[in-house]
Amino acid sequence: MSLDSSSSSSSGDEYIEENPNSNPKMVDERFEVLTLTEPVELESNHMGDGSDIVNGSLNRERNGGDEDDDRLQVENQEIFGEEGPSSPSSSGYAGERGSSSATSASRVDEASEIDDNEIREVRNDGSLEGISDSQASSWVPGKRHVDEDDASISWRKRKKHFFILSNSGKPIYSRYGDEHKLAGFSATLQAIISFVENGGDRVKLVKAGKHQVVFLVKGPIYLVCISCTEEPFESLKGQLELIYGQMILILTKSINRCFEKNPKFDMTPLLGGTDVVFSSLIHSFSWNPATFLHAYTCLPLAYATRQAAGAILQDVADSGVLFAILMCKHKVISLVGAQKASLHPDDMLLLSNFVMSSESFRTSESFSPICLPRYNPMAFLYAYVHFLDVDTYLMLLTTSSDAFYHLKDCRIRIEMVLLKSNVLSEVQRSMIDGGMRVEDLPIDPLPRFGSSPHLGHQRPPTDSPERPREPFIGIGGPAGLWHFIYRSIYLDQYVSSEFSPPLNSPRQQKRLYRAYQRLFASMHDKGIGPHKTQFRRDENYVLLCWVTQDFELYAAFDPLADKALAIKTCNRVCQWVKDVENEIFLQGASPFSW
Amino acid sequence: MGCASSLPGRSSGRLTGLNNAENSGVPDAKNLRVKLVLLGDSGVGKSCIVLRFVRGQFDPTSKVTVGASFLSQTIALQDSTTVKFEIWDTAGQERYAALAPLYYRGAGVAVIVYDITSPESFTKAQYWVKELQKHGSPDIVMALVGNKADLHENREVPVQDGIDYAEKNGMFFIETSAKTADNINQLFEEIAKRLPRPSSS
Repeated sequence: MSLDSSSSSSSGDEYIEENPNSNPKMVDERFEVLTLTEPVELESNHMGDGSDIVNGSLNRERNGGDEDDDRLQVENQEIFGEEGPSSPSSSGYAGERGSSSATSASRVDEASEIDDNEIREVRNDGSLEGISDSQASSWVPGKRHVDEDDASISWRKRKKHFFILSNSGKPIYSRYGDEHKLAGFSATLQAIISFVENGGDRVKLVKAGKHQVVFLVKGPIYLVCISCTEEPFESLKGQLELIYGQMILILTKSINRCFEKNPKFDMTPLLGGTDVVFSSLIHSFSWNPATFLHAYTCLPLAYATRQAAGAILQDVADSGVLFAILMCKHKVISLVGAQKASLHPDDMLLLSNFVMSSESFRTSESFSPICLPRYNPMAFLYAYVHFLDVDTYLMLLTTSSDAFYHLKDCRIRIEMVLLKSNVLSEVQRSMIDGGMRVEDLPIDPLPRFGSSPHLGHQRPPTDSPERPREPFIGIGGPAGLWHFIYRSIYLDQYVSSEFSPPLNSPRQQKRLYRAYQRLFASMHDKGIGPHKTQFRRDENYVLLCWVTQDFELYAAFDPLADKALAIKTCNRVCQWVKDVENEIFLQGASPFSW
Repeated sequence: MGCASSLPGRSSGRLTGLNNAENSGVPDAKNLRVKLVLLGDSGVGKSCIVLRFVRGQFDPTSKVTVGASFLSQTIALQDSTTVKFEIWDTAGQERYAALAPLYYRGAGVAVIVYDITSPESFTKAQYWVKELQKHGSPDIVMALVGNKADLHENREVPVQDGIDYAEKNGMFFIETSAKTADNINQLFEEIAKRLPRPSSS
């Protein structure tokens, strides 16, 4: 193990705090604690990442270099950008302070309209900040600010825009404002894209001040994100991919033919009434880890309960149902695929977003054509959807357009079994009990056998000294684990701990979400990665990430957490997850690995 | 209320939809079962009509229907026959237009809805009438419904236009308000009365 590796990321020079642990040698030793338990995964692959990041920070003031520099900078800004609790909102503007130097050299005239001056206005504009706060806490579905267009100051101040347009420049979707009024703006975006394309090249990213303009071309469909949220380029690109996927889910890729027949084809009527679907997806970019992890999560349930649900779903799947999926909100209770059929986690995300955001599914049972972009982007499947209670819904997917009555019968059978075997009441209970809580992290490994309580919750009669109950200290005092996400690579599933103090407010939760998103992007960065471990500290957290062949662990600690203890805690988390894996993951019948 | 079939000429009422094998218990003359499809432009109030009829509810917040929703409701006529409506409430969005045959195939009744404040929706209703005349069951019972009658101050489609068009096309016509429940039950009772009765054997 090289020295670089462990300092990988400590890069202490950026931080206020001078941690004695940042002494490389000591750190190295600390990591070996981790290495002892999982020797294979931690070897090697740290080469040079530390120095890359240092380079990145050297490049920090440089704006408008070539594409590669941008990529590094993005990385760099993302890592060091967030400047602590004094920033008015969790995303965006924290990094704006003292960055007037960044106004230089915006490469595209259009983009330079939105420059730092405007951003400062926003910072002084309390009402706008108010908007972003209320959005975080109580999100209202549907499109807002339809009255705006690109001439509105409020429209220009929005932190994150998403656009879909056709390659002839016709607007298809805009997150804010009326698409038709944005025809001129849309045409400008199209001009930028085709100008670069005419030169035999492809525009991916334009940086203008604190704004990133990310482009994605999908045949005749162009997608653009304009953002000053400081999210990594790869994350924003992934979000555009999901938006495109959501559109394909509604219309299939055969929509391309309409453009072949008529380049000036107006697609907006075809997406009529789907604003809520897109706005709900875009909202999930700021709270749902599935959007960047490309994995799904399960509702915690006793193994036998999930087995019972899986058995009846398997029963109907054998009778000609392609996929049978039982979900509670965005969490899977059980799912079954017909033989050889595999369901991609992104398709599940898009499908559940579509169903949950469309109110009409809650009114009565429905039968609707949908397309699973990763399964077959060209063809419609037919989805029978029925809400069994306010949060729990069943989706039966078939290729046959006239299977409704059969699927209805299947649903009646499934519902009866679920009621009889108490699955639905267990689901309700799990919703109330919640998932894994860092406060419950076992100090010692759980006994392998015997009756285990819900997710191994241990309730000691007295508070142990390691677990002070003060509201702002998580478990373990200085090792204070605040939150974690564990992603099982083999299962395509992740588990995320519940938000515990001090992560109480939606703003704090969104900030952590963004921090994980950056961490994920930096771990998977193809230029300087992939990495195996990463330890970073700023005013808000200590973040520790550990990637092995089997899993990825993302953990957030108190900013004063001790590195050695944090590593130890991560090992305990992994052990804990293994101990309760039968409750938190859908095991065995993984449709992803037939 | 007269209960005699108003369509004596039609011999065999095809009451069950296609692909509905398990539901097609032998219909007797006293207990009818019929597949009904609602068609019309988006936002004219198809779902509101159905929810008013089936659940007695009215929700002013607009919820765009996706694909089609399935609901059923049984009514009793004065002659002690019961009619079970299996209702397909289709989405009015353009992208689902091509899929409409999926829902109206085998339907015994089609209710075509427009909004009396929207001439465009009346034009769209005429499109659906033509489509059904071309591709629907030949003995389908069709009703033309002008909804949102409570908004008479904003009326843009005269009652007479609806009456005339319905008459020309052999349809039953009524104006309703899902909001006030005006004429909603009457709509379905009238349809029930017009259903072809299976010849008793």
